[in-house]
Amino acid sequence: MIDLTDEEILRYSRHIILSEVGGAGQQKLKEASVLVVGAGGLGSPVLLYLAAAGIGRIGIIEDDVVDVTNLQRQIIHTTDDVDKPKVKSAGETMKQINPHVEVDIYHERLTKDNIFSLLDRYDIVVDGVDNFPTRYLINDACVMKKKVLIEGGILRFMGLIMSIHGGETACYRCVFEEPPPPGTVPSCAEAGILGAVAGVVGTLQATEVLKIVTGVGEPLYNRLLQFDAEELRFHEVKARRNPKCPVCGENPTITELIEYAYTCETQAPGTT
Amino acid sequence: MNEFGPNSENSVGMLSFDDGKACPGPACLDITVQGKPLHYHGAWNVRSLLESQGENSAYANVRINGTVLRRRDFENIPLRSGDSVDFLYYMGGGK
Repeated sequence: MIDLTDEEILRYSRHIILSEVGGAGQQKLKEASVLVVGAGGLGSPVLLYLAAAGIGRIGIIEDDVVDVTNLQRQIIHTTDDVDKPKVKSAGETMKQINPHVEVDIYHERLTKDNIFSLLDRYDIVVDGVDNFPTRYLINDACVMKKKVLIEGGILRFMGLIMSIHGGETACYRCVFEEPPPPGTVPSCAEAGILGAVAGVVGTLQATEVLKIVTGVGEPLYNRLLQFDAEELRFHEVKARRNPKCPVCGENPTITELIEYAYTCETQAPGTT
Repeated sequence: MNEFGPNSENSVGMLSFDDGKACPGPACLDITVQGKPLHYHGAWNVRSLLESQGENSAYANVRINGTVLRRRDFENIPLRSGDSVDFLYYMGGGK
């Protein structure tokens, strides 16, 4: 049953006019709930587009506050938001864009102690974190809970996106079995990120959410898409469930959540 | 034709980026790297390929014909004609 108000029908009319979406699709968006981990470079476009699209309930978990160095790419925050918790700043912006959307804010860090209870409250998870320990934690938890995860990462002029249906399609560990060895990936020292690259990847993540909720098209399951802004090129790599995957393989060795040490060596370079 | 010689002690061949011509040498490798056909001369392993392509092995994982390699095997795995090589990058940033 469709219970969109006249104002909502008008607001979402450019969605509804798409025959693949229609009123029924817009209703699915209204009934959907999405958890976005991180309200930074990736989280900004994801949250903006999901709110604008009319996702009924959106959770944001992030423990950071807005810094002036964030503003070159984290477009959900403004100069006036500096020093404000990112969840608060993001939530306020989303409400201004679309007051129909319910926003849950969690001003805390995602850990193995809170992740399962959070996942239980949402249909889909979007990864916008800035470090490998949390990235692997989210992947493993989504596999164990059989959740849909929209994975995304950025580095300098490059980005990566992969949609995962936990336990059904290739997961992050099927491709990247372990985090980079400590000491091999420089971090803490800024390697930089071209701001708009975060916009490209985050917008693709939001697109995947909208497609999956409405059932439009083919999700980026069992595929990994790499974006190279310098060459303006996308490179798609087919992925498949790895029978030896330590978390979703035939004989998984990871059966409980792991939190890798959060060190400089395992933090992504240049994106803090 | 741009030709690049070995650029480290691990490199053991010559690489041509001119993919429009047939490889003239007897020890010829025709492989696909990131979807692009490339011709190699001589024997190459994964490590030397990474270096010749200017890839940072700290970020790049390597997949050949659908199989992701262990990093410690990079120098032990030779390239063969017909191989399809993809570089899969660690990208941990989101903020």
